[in-house]
Amino acid sequence: MDISDQLNLTSTTEEEIEPFLEVTPALVQKRRSQARIIFDRFMRNKAAIAGAIFLILMFAFCFLGPTITGHNKPDLTHVTNVNDTLAGPSWQYPFGTDDVGRDTMARAMVGGQTSLIIGLASMFMAIVFGVGIGSFAGYYGGIIDNILMRFTDVILAVPFYLLLFVLSATFTNGSPLSVIILIAAFGWTYTARLVRGEFLALREREYVLAARTIGAKNLSIMFRHILPNAAGPIIVSATLLVGTNIITESVLSFFGFGIQPPAASWGSMIELGDNMIDVDPWLVFIPGMLIFLTVLSFNLVGDGLRDALDPYMTER
Amino acid sequence: MGRYIIRRLLQAIPLLFLLSVFMFTLIHLMPGGPDQVIFNPHLTPAARAAMRARFGLDDPVPIQYLKWLSRALVGDFGFSFATNLPVSYIIGQRFPATLQLFVPALLLALVLALFLGVISAVRQGTVTDYALTTVSYFGIAMPVFLFGVFAQYIFGVWLHVLPTSGMQTLGYQLDPFDAFIDHLQHLILPMCVLSILFIAGWSRYMRSSMIEVVKQDYMRTARAKGVGPVRLLIRHALRNAVIPLITVVALDFGTVAGGATITEGVFAWPGMGLLFFQSLQARDYPVLLAMLMISSVFVIGFNLIADILYAVMDPRIRYS
Repeated sequence: MDISDQLNLTSTTEEEIEPFLEVTPALVQKRRSQARIIFDRFMRNKAAIAGAIFLILMFAFCFLGPTITGHNKPDLTHVTNVNDTLAGPSWQYPFGTDDVGRDTMARAMVGGQTSLIIGLASMFMAIVFGVGIGSFAGYYGGIIDNILMRFTDVILAVPFYLLLFVLSATFTNGSPLSVIILIAAFGWTYTARLVRGEFLALREREYVLAARTIGAKNLSIMFRHILPNAAGPIIVSATLLVGTNIITESVLSFFGFGIQPPAASWGSMIELGDNMIDVDPWLVFIPGMLIFLTVLSFNLVGDGLRDALDPYMTER
Repeated sequence: MGRYIIRRLLQAIPLLFLLSVFMFTLIHLMPGGPDQVIFNPHLTPAARAAMRARFGLDDPVPIQYLKWLSRALVGDFGFSFATNLPVSYIIGQRFPATLQLFVPALLLALVLALFLGVISAVRQGTVTDYALTTVSYFGIAMPVFLFGVFAQYIFGVWLHVLPTSGMQTLGYQLDPFDAFIDHLQHLILPMCVLSILFIAGWSRYMRSSMIEVVKQDYMRTARAKGVGPVRLLIRHALRNAVIPLITVVALDFGTVAGGATITEGVFAWPGMGLLFFQSLQARDYPVLLAMLMISSVFVIGFNLIADILYAVMDPRIRYS
């Protein structure tokens, strides 16, 4: 019996591990993939789950609702029957009708489609642009970084909404696509800064040096090595960006710059309803609450993702 | 430090030039011009041409820009197309109204955010904390104009206690004291609506900053030396936790020239924001340009102030 036996420093072979595991099966932990670990951490956050469920329901409501519930005529007016205008919630019109007799529920659904698509699409465009600029600025550094950050500063120095109002007077023609491009064109700055910071930190890692040593090209290093590791904060900011973009779209539409009435979007519905708020507050309340709850859910899911992806949180 | 300030100021100059070119181009890309919107539709073509020449609309855009720039550098922003008054006079008239709205809103938001953030941090994990955090989540998720519209409905239409728009009640000639009270009544709603957004964001920031500070070793040392809880909180924790918040507040203060736009639009408060909407409608280029430039100057200026404040308050930060 030498010291290594007494200290139990024998080399670990399969024969010595297995009896240990048989005795204490509770200590065996099944190996989980990284995605599974993140998913489990997300699932522990009740608020995030509530937000995710609400979002799934909201998407179903807006996109499947018209076909399932039959409220698929957002522009059909019923001016013939005066009792049908400005009606409160009823069995036939669960959300009531507006001043020319349009079905508010159908408008809420179709408007929701518009608002959600605008929010998501502008987020994708902004993320693509922001990641593109941020990655080049962070990876190359030096003069490229300087120029790109100057460019970002110019965009940031102008008050966001003032710029948006001026531009929407110029460029939009009421179509969702123009609104998407407009919102994306000025919403990428936060992502660009974030990505730049991440790339600045990650380009010093050993795997980047290793990749360079075996001759990987710069673009390949940026997008195949560094970007997947920077993905966490990008995903979080993308989720929060959708909420922000939905709010931005509703502000634009409310002031008459984005989606024009009678085309439905939650913001334009609020604009129409604002004039009649003393008579029928439901017209404002319903799209307003839909916006509020949707953005709240996006924020909760984003925060849940942030906690789930944070590598510094101790495993619970 | 002084060299840092000078360097930042020098960097700001080309930025402002770039901005002015950028915005001048944007504004001139807008479809229609003042002659479609403001000019008397009954003008004969000759008179119309003369008016266009008088406003310099026939010059090529770069020439217009240079003319504008040469006057703007000496502070003369020209005359409004719509009202023919000097632009600086118009803006000077509207700016105090925006200040009346913005400064009290910001101060109220600062006090409340500090208070709520500290309470939330000190009672971390309790019901109070969860309640306050939830409320601040709500505040962030609700767009400002929506909050304004709801507030207008609740206080103006349903409860019928506060006026919903404008700065004073029209049509009455009130004696000074009543006029003052009337003015205050008109001010309350927009001011509170404007504060709520700031409170929601800042209290979260304050809370996380406070939690970070309380974990530090010097807090434990002070407590071990026998410092009482209140003094500990105020003298040791708060002073350090407030530093990042003050910089955020300074940055948000920089949006004063353009930031209340939405609130002023919803409540028809006659300040800079409403002026912006009206000028946008009327394609009143001089006023629009002047407003955009002034807002940018404010934003850049307060950015610099925020950085300087941070260095002043935290002696560990030293700019080269």
